[in-house]
Amino acid sequence: MTQGKFSFFQSLRFRLIAGVVTIEVVMLSLLVWSNIRIIHTTHADRLQDTASSLLEQIADTSGSYMVAVDYASLQDYLNKVVNHKELSYVVVLDRDENPVVSLGNTPAQPWPRVDSHPSAVDDAVFNASRAIQVSGEPMGKMLAGFSLAQMESAIHKARFRGIVIAVSEIFLTVVATVLIGLHLTRRLGVLADAAESVGAGDYSVVVPTETADEVGKTATAFNRMVGEVSSRTGLLEQEEGKSRRLLAENRQLVHASLDVQEEERKHLARELHDELGQCITAIQADAELIRDISAGRDERVEASAGAILDVSSRIYDGVHSMMARLRPGILDDLGLVAALKDDISAWMQRNPDTSCLLHATGQLDNLGERINITIYRIVQECLTNITRHAGASKVTIDLAGEIDRLLLKIEDDGRGLPATMPAGGLGLIGMRERVESLGGEFSLDAREGKGLSIMISVPLTGEEAQA
Amino acid sequence: MRTITRFLRTCITCALFVPGLANAAQSTLDVPCGRDGALTFGFLPLVSTEKLVQRFAPLVHHLSAELGTPIRIETAADFETFIRRTNNDKRYDLLFTAPHLFYLARKKAGYHLLVSVDSRGMSAVIVVPKNSQIETIKDLAGLKLATVDPLSLATLLVRKQLEDNGLDPDADLNLVTTPSHNASLLSSYYGATDASSLMMPPFKVANPGVRESMKIISVTESTPHMPISAAPWIDPECRDAMVAVLLAMPSTPAGREALKTAGFRGFVKSLPDIYDSLIWAAERIDTE
Repeated sequence: MTQGKFSFFQSLRFRLIAGVVTIEVVMLSLLVWSNIRIIHTTHADRLQDTASSLLEQIADTSGSYMVAVDYASLQDYLNKVVNHKELSYVVVLDRDENPVVSLGNTPAQPWPRVDSHPSAVDDAVFNASRAIQVSGEPMGKMLAGFSLAQMESAIHKARFRGIVIAVSEIFLTVVATVLIGLHLTRRLGVLADAAESVGAGDYSVVVPTETADEVGKTATAFNRMVGEVSSRTGLLEQEEGKSRRLLAENRQLVHASLDVQEEERKHLARELHDELGQCITAIQADAELIRDISAGRDERVEASAGAILDVSSRIYDGVHSMMARLRPGILDDLGLVAALKDDISAWMQRNPDTSCLLHATGQLDNLGERINITIYRIVQECLTNITRHAGASKVTIDLAGEIDRLLLKIEDDGRGLPATMPAGGLGLIGMRERVESLGGEFSLDAREGKGLSIMISVPLTGEEAQA
Repeated sequence: MRTITRFLRTCITCALFVPGLANAAQSTLDVPCGRDGALTFGFLPLVSTEKLVQRFAPLVHHLSAELGTPIRIETAADFETFIRRTNNDKRYDLLFTAPHLFYLARKKAGYHLLVSVDSRGMSAVIVVPKNSQIETIKDLAGLKLATVDPLSLATLLVRKQLEDNGLDPDADLNLVTTPSHNASLLSSYYGATDASSLMMPPFKVANPGVRESMKIISVTESTPHMPISAAPWIDPECRDAMVAVLLAMPSTPAGREALKTAGFRGFVKSLPDIYDSLIWAAERIDTE
């Protein structure tokens, strides 16, 4: 049995490499994603802290300017201190929410909604706010916008670096895994090739054991196993050859036995016909003569002669029946089909509840004695079996003579064969042997309760008539 | 209709205020006192803005709560700006300013005196470190004297005191302007100047360690204490209510607490004419 060629994708090499690479890709992707999240969170928190501390510082200082309504000084102060590069705008509102100082790209009113966190921003500017108080007294409010461009740029750079590192690592991992995988699986491949050769019957294969690792140990064990298998297979083949020869001899004996049996039957039938038949005929002739002479003279003699006639007639019928079973003369005289019809007719008389139809088609003359007697005996055996076991109501026999073969099919609607029953009793085995002795094929289709069907095919070579 | 309304308001005010100012102060007004629904209370930048708010916020809160009107504290970066906003810009509804500046505010912007701080008066002092060789005001000749804003009453009183003692403030000694009374005091304490001039009240509440290491070498003449006044556009009814609240402050726990934080004993009703004695000071700063 051969495994057949498997695709590269089924190989251990591919699966090993694909598995490692997949795990690596998944883990690195998770790592990169996690790092990007951390970077994003860190930058966002940093920006919020920066905004918070910057606004706190400015608001604390601005309070004095606000309470003094010194907006010019406040603007000067803010111009000096507000130089943070992420700062987009600063607006100082008085207690009436009126803008008193504006720096940078001040948004149009209404003032943008204050963002809770840079990560919650949806317009690229983190808008923050802080109340301006002096000793707890509200003096106004400060609005500031922090551009996320720098943060996004930093995140983008970090993301790019992370992806580059991950891709590089994946590439190196793939290369390393491929090299290591090839190195590891090369010896497994040698082992697999050797196993395939052994499977194909080549026991001369020897796997090199290069190392003492698992693969090396496997190779050693494989070599030992191959040696053992080779030895046992040799012995098995020898025994199988013997068995095959014995079987062939046995079959020859069986076939010879069948031939001898038929020959003996034929001889016995001839002897019965020639010897016993002549004697009975003579007895009947004498008995008729005695009956005729004694008629009206001696009733006792006449009665005895009549009895002799009856007994001899029954003996004759019995002998005739034995002769017919041993060797149907009609087979030799009128051929296979007539013999089968005669036999079927006699069988139907004995089994009036079962109909039996014979369909004979094709060239059925000159089939030769061996084929004729074989087919006749098989039909005879089948009918006997049907009588004994089938309980059938209908039997169909199809006999077809084709150009190169003879087909016989016998079907009945009886009980069939139980599932637990062996493929055939001695009768079936005898049929099979008879067919196989002619080089034919015998098959059986039997299911319990579904009747029985026997199919026979016998090759015709055109020289059967000479056999 | 408006006349009837004003009459009713006056009646209500009288009913509330006449029987007793303290009781009247417990109620809130039905009419808004501020121009925009809120009053702006201007405080002379006596000290740093933070200290100013810290000191006067309780007083403002008390007044606001009693009047039922929001009141905002405001000040200015310097005396000059404050004076301009008071007299020209008419920015403040209520005014807490120096006596001589009130004189100007009354004269130029028509502010009405509400109350004065309950005190016998105010003087400026000239102090030097206790270990200093300076003993009298005349010893300051040729030395450096720290002052507060040139427009402040303290500076004006000290200049007058110097002149009364035969010293020309602009020629015989070097006047060094500092941003506040405390800064003036600390400048001689740390040796930046030889002496410091400031008003007596800030000196009394100065850091004890600093105050006790200094000695007074001169005390100027006394002036009426700081007034609280109202702008002329404030409804008289509101003014009366404010007066009632301010005068009643010592009689309520919240009022006493606010007074304590402000450093005042209370307020008294006084006549605006008492501030006419500061005409000389007002004339010195009135550049218009």
